[in-house]
Amino acid sequence: MTEHRDPLDVLRTGVVPTEPDPAFAARLRARLESEVLNPKGATMSSSEPTSVTLEQTPTREGDVVYSSLWVPDVDRAQAFYTAVLGWRIDASGETRRVLDVRPPMGMRGGTAHGTLFLCHAVDDLAAALDRVRAAGGEAGEPVREPFGLVADCVDNQGMRFAMLHAPRDQRQPVPPPGAGELFYLTVRVPNSQLYRDFYGTVFGWTFTPGRIEDGWGVTGPAPMTGMHGNVDRPSVVPMFGVADVAAAVAAVRAAGGTAEDPVRMPYGTTADCVDDQGLPFYLGQV
Amino acid sequence: MDVEQRPGVRRDPGLTLLELYDQALPEVYGYLLSRCGQRALAEDLTEETFLAALSACRRSAPPQLSVAWLIGVARHKLVDHWRAAAREERGLRVVAGGLAEPEDPWDERLDAIVARQVLDTLGPQHRAVLTLRYLDGLPVADVAKYLDRTLHATEALLVRARSAFRKSYVDHHDESEREGRS
Repeated sequence: MTEHRDPLDVLRTGVVPTEPDPAFAARLRARLESEVLNPKGATMSSSEPTSVTLEQTPTREGDVVYSSLWVPDVDRAQAFYTAVLGWRIDASGETRRVLDVRPPMGMRGGTAHGTLFLCHAVDDLAAALDRVRAAGGEAGEPVREPFGLVADCVDNQGMRFAMLHAPRDQRQPVPPPGAGELFYLTVRVPNSQLYRDFYGTVFGWTFTPGRIEDGWGVTGPAPMTGMHGNVDRPSVVPMFGVADVAAAVAAVRAAGGTAEDPVRMPYGTTADCVDDQGLPFYLGQV
Repeated sequence: MDVEQRPGVRRDPGLTLLELYDQALPEVYGYLLSRCGQRALAEDLTEETFLAALSACRRSAPPQLSVAWLIGVARHKLVDHWRAAAREERGLRVVAGGLAEPEDPWDERLDAIVARQVLDTLGPQHRAVLTLRYLDGLPVADVAKYLDRTLHATEALLVRARSAFRKSYVDHHDESEREGRS
């Protein structure tokens, strides 16, 4: 058979990028952002199955399965974050619990320098503790808690964290973050190389250079995480999802905190805030 | 240590989609606009494309997000659109059925601009199959998948679509010739 030139080949059209109407582009972006943080349903192609189920991704090793806001004054923090994020707090136990958020969160006072304490899931706690030691961290003894076997650790720059033994088959699916929940973590450390060495070894995370000087995107953990170096003291700064960042900014200011005006970032509209005890945090519209 | 064996990449794929948005939007929109020719329709299909992409990346086996994958989703949306349009027209006009007729060889060198104008006048089914086959340059087997038809049915549709295109092109051409002479 001879190769026959097809006259209709003149129709061949590559993809020529075309900027749509900016108003349309902004509207669609806003819609996607809102769907990402507040998934309600989904639009399916008619050529795809008709049943709509939002898949929840199971937790993986290194994912944050619990976090706790460590603050100087826990009563003030409870009043502030309740007002800003609409949290409901159970203050009946030793550690205050934030209700109705996933992954679960707590709140603890009595720490001079605030941070968000993180507890990560691991497949095999003993093996993970070995990796912590090998990477230059301190590994505590595993303790049996009602929610599982957990060990307190300190990383190679003095930041405390914990690991929870959570075999793969026992892990709960975590839905995408909603309002009041952790949307993004910013880890601030003295030395970004030490951080990459440690968490790369312990959890297998990888790092890509970010937009800011010595800033790094962390590939691996949920929630989504970024890290930068060159600060005096390590800490984790949370970004909380809110349905309306402008309204939440007003609530921060009314509750005695400070907030910059919202800005648009690749992952959503965010605002830099400081609470009424001087702890930085971010709000992200979702 | 088995660092390499652990799942390395894990984040809400919706966020990845948002990060890709600025880069992908002109590509997806450009693809759709150049194939459907109407701004409002291209916007609607672009929106459907991104929303479908978002729901697809939330499923258990999320796709590898890329512009090329999004163009594939957009192609599905375009086909869906033409399929719906064809359903609407079915009451008015029955697309010729039966076996595909053998084609005459057609060696004429076509004018690309006229060819595009002619394509826009065809019915939705013909437009769909010709767009996938010629504008997008897909092999017939891939065209069949997008149209959700068998290979044989797609080949037959392609023959009918080409024949409709040819008839329309020749008419159009004759018309312009006449206009040119007068």
